[in-house]
Amino acid sequence: MNSILRQKQLTLICFLFLPTALMLMFVAYPSLKLIQQSFTDWNGVSKSFNYIGLANYYEIFTNAPEVWISLKNNFVYMFMHLASVPVAIFIAVLLSSKIKGSQFFKLTVFLPYILNGVAVAYLFSYFFSPVGGTFNGLLELFHLESLIQGWLSDERIVNFTLAFVSVWRFTGFHIVLYVAGILSIPSDLYEAAELDGAGFLQKIRYITIPGIWTVIQITVFLHLNGTLQTFDIPFVMTNGGPAGASSTFSLYSIQMAFQYNQMGMASAMGVILLIMIIGIIFLQNKLMDRKG
Amino acid sequence: MNMNGENRFAIPIRFNGIAGMLLKFIIYMVFISICLIVFIPLISVLITSFKTFVEMGYSSSLSLPSTFNLENYKTVLEEGHILIAFKNSLILVAASVLINTLVSSTAAYCITRFDFRYKKIVMALFILGMMVPHYTTEIARFSIIRDMGLYNTLLGPIVLYAAADLMQIYIFKQFMDKIPRSLDESAMIDGASYMGIFWKIIFPLIIPASATLAIIKAVIVINDMYIPYLYMPGIKNLTLTTMLMFFNDAQQGSWNVLSAAIVIVMVPTVIVYVIFQKYIFSGITAGANKG
Repeated sequence: MNSILRQKQLTLICFLFLPTALMLMFVAYPSLKLIQQSFTDWNGVSKSFNYIGLANYYEIFTNAPEVWISLKNNFVYMFMHLASVPVAIFIAVLLSSKIKGSQFFKLTVFLPYILNGVAVAYLFSYFFSPVGGTFNGLLELFHLESLIQGWLSDERIVNFTLAFVSVWRFTGFHIVLYVAGILSIPSDLYEAAELDGAGFLQKIRYITIPGIWTVIQITVFLHLNGTLQTFDIPFVMTNGGPAGASSTFSLYSIQMAFQYNQMGMASAMGVILLIMIIGIIFLQNKLMDRKG
Repeated sequence: MNMNGENRFAIPIRFNGIAGMLLKFIIYMVFISICLIVFIPLISVLITSFKTFVEMGYSSSLSLPSTFNLENYKTVLEEGHILIAFKNSLILVAASVLINTLVSSTAAYCITRFDFRYKKIVMALFILGMMVPHYTTEIARFSIIRDMGLYNTLLGPIVLYAAADLMQIYIFKQFMDKIPRSLDESAMIDGASYMGIFWKIIFPLIIPASATLAIIKAVIVINDMYIPYLYMPGIKNLTLTTMLMFFNDAQQGSWNVLSAAIVIVMVPTVIVYVIFQKYIFSGITAGANKG
């Protein structure tokens, strides 16, 4: 018995050492470091720094409108992504019917997700470009010239354009998750409902949606978490421009760290982001957990 | 494909009668709209990649090129450091997928099969790994990588990619929970050690899950921008993604040449996707069937 126990310990040590060490080094330690740095005035380069208490946080909350403009832009992404959820579920319902060609459509829907994100970003810079851009070309084709906008240069529109690119890129992944969830619901449930006289929409409402509730919870978390951290698309397509109008919280904190050399401020922003994410997880658990 | 098996789970939509015809029509309209939304941007880049700079000026981006001109691709191949980028991306993918599969499958084995004193702490670490916004901890990770002497080497990103994430451990756990413990026990009676059980019994059975996760990880690594951008600025360390960014900076405004580069960078993952689609979907399905 003792040798089995020893063996178990040996296995645990061998199998868990590397994953735990990696997590400690590249997740836990940097997180603690982040919190520590957020109380300093470190510029990221010099060897010395001073502890300045909550000054960075005070600065962010009272004297840094750019931070809040950036965060507001994150909410544009969040709004567009959450608005895509019902549409994605609708498409997933259609895709999981055994209609001819649904395999091909499933393949198409998922395609944007596997494409190189930077390539997609450049692709849409071209698509929405003011000179020879495909989208304006399409509008002209349908004689809708009046709708032509500075898709990436008008500060009122740019965030919606970028959020559209984000939705284009990630929705397929969510649709495939919903399809997987829907295909795990036994169809006798639908048949029983049919006997009780339920129509198509009622079946969706009372069987499909509850049946994939866990998947919906996961995807909503992915949307909230992902849109709070949006970085790649604005970084590559506009770099926050015009004049900071399309910056996001992550993008601005990275600029703070590596362009303006304000590591302390950037770290404080990181801590705030972490707190927001934990808050969202907490809130979501409260609001969406039907099992109580 | 097992038709009956699939039928048991599909939503019954009936297509008889006029209402059924109408429903079918609506479904196909939705599908066609999706195809247009997905393919129009891709096709416009593909078309533009065959045009000369002059032709691009006077023709619409959705009208076919007058000749099948490969000059743009030649320019990318000659000036774009494509071969280096391919090689580096391949090395990154191979190394990180290999290490990552080992790390996350062994971790999942320990978590599903054993109870131990620090289990909660280990689990909390993995949950933390999923929650911490890595763009912001990058600042602290950066100094660790630099102090280890891995800055501007391929090893830097490899150690960062190697860390297991919760999603993978979770999917492995799903698969391992389905393997009956009696298999472990009978192997134990035959004298196998815990490690032996993992290598000889568990691992062979979770190879389908490993394949899915490996493909998804490979796509993530090939497509990742920020880690190579931050940790490997040198030209000799360009990956497909950073190569594209580097090339873009050099080609301001020549969308025809840049389009060719975009197409070249997109092709590898598309090939992986089309070949391995079955594994991608089956793994995601297993992950979503939590019930």
